[in-house]
Amino acid sequence: MSITEKILCSKSHEYLLDNENGTYTVGLTDYAIEQLGDIVFLELPEVGSEFKKGEVFATIESVKAASEIYLPVSGKIVEVNEALVDAPETLNEDVYEKGWLVKIEATGDAAELNDLMEYEDYKEELE
Amino acid sequence: MTKETYLHEKHVQLGAKMVDFAGWHMPVQYTSIIEEHKTVREAVGLFDVSHMGEVFVSGKDALKFLNKIVPQDISNLNYEKAVYCQLPNKNGGLIDDLIIYKLGIQSYLIICNASRIDEDLNWMVRNKRGLDVKIDNQSHNYSLLAIQGPKAAELMQKMGLNTQQSSFTIKAGEVCGIKVLASRTGYTGEDGFELLVENEFSEDLWDKILEYGKEFGIKPIGLGARDTLRLEAALHLYGNDLDETTTPVEAGLSWSIPKDKQDDYNGKEVIMAQLQNGVEKKLVGLKMLDKSIARHEYEVFFNGEKIGKVTSGGVSPILGANIALAYVKNIKEICTGTIVQVMIREKLHDAEIVKRPFVPKRNRITI
Repeated sequence: MSITEKILCSKSHEYLLDNENGTYTVGLTDYAIEQLGDIVFLELPEVGSEFKKGEVFATIESVKAASEIYLPVSGKIVEVNEALVDAPETLNEDVYEKGWLVKIEATGDAAELNDLMEYEDYKEELE
Repeated sequence: MTKETYLHEKHVQLGAKMVDFAGWHMPVQYTSIIEEHKTVREAVGLFDVSHMGEVFVSGKDALKFLNKIVPQDISNLNYEKAVYCQLPNKNGGLIDDLIIYKLGIQSYLIICNASRIDEDLNWMVRNKRGLDVKIDNQSHNYSLLAIQGPKAAELMQKMGLNTQQSSFTIKAGEVCGIKVLASRTGYTGEDGFELLVENEFSEDLWDKILEYGKEFGIKPIGLGARDTLRLEAALHLYGNDLDETTTPVEAGLSWSIPKDKQDDYNGKEVIMAQLQNGVEKKLVGLKMLDKSIARHEYEVFFNGEKIGKVTSGGVSPILGANIALAYVKNIKEICTGTIVQVMIREKLHDAEIVKRPFVPKRNRITI
């Protein structure tokens, strides 16, 4: 099963991957990165910080502009991808294996997943 | 309605990401802004800048007219020479910045910014009263292709252009048999040419340049890299670094203004007074001391006091650092080497005031 079959995507182009150990991985979709172009800066939150669904938890900058990244479900940050902060250009190659942003413990209820889309539906929505 | 250049189809075929810019649907990048940027610094790049305006000025009073609308002394402009100019209003604020070329006796060409063609024309018409001068906007009939980079001259020569021309000159010539007006100018800090060609020949010219350019490593370059290139060269972008509230003296363009010009011109009183007495704000170059990126409109601080704002900011692929142009209070404590702060997402980030251009220019060619 490829990774895109397991993720859920938000309208604002974040993905959520259930790690099946009580945590979720959050990142940006390949479409988002393609639209942004060359990534040159990334700012991630501190481990332990908490955000509500839809709150800004990180900032990404391409050559062209700065963009905010929203948490697709409420959660507490349990791990951040420090290596990515040092080499944000990695995102232009891979958004899943090396290019994930943070891992969270969900703090909201399951209904928060309702407006997230499967990758195929998300791609369709874009067209 | 968004306008398209005659090369629009070419950009789409090349897979460019298209954006709206100054009312035009233009390529912002073909592959990667950073890659395109480096291509221009290391080899040669091809730009479609057909959105820019071309206005021909002719007639018995053409010289008198031009001397009335720009601070530069057009009387000193020789045949086939070009000069960087500004178009000030009565208060010295800038309506646009331009390049003026002398094409012949009583015959000149103005190349202006796409976003300002209408304002420029209105202003010129208002200033021609009583003068025998013809203002002929030919923007819709011409395409403009820029070939920029250290390999640009070699490529042009290979395509049959006589490249025996210095920077800031314009000559009629042929590129692979296609008639062009070749200007040795650009907006990247590199050597290069800007070729003015009639629309119907633009696609052919575009294809041939890419074909002949292959051995030189040519790539088509979008507006994204055009912006990062001009920022490294600290060249002003109208709308960001220049506008109707900014004078050329404040903008660090005093070098371009003759002190002894006899003719009266719009804004002369203000500009001359500023040259003599100084200005309240000045343009400086900033280099960020961390990884943060200063952007247009971000505020600049010194000793906790707000002293100005960033007008252009971004990455410098050549320096591997982030750079910006900012207008700051003109006091002597704020000079090259001073550490100031830029407010980015509610946090202050250190930046050093550095000399402009950020990357040395290589566009001064004397034949």
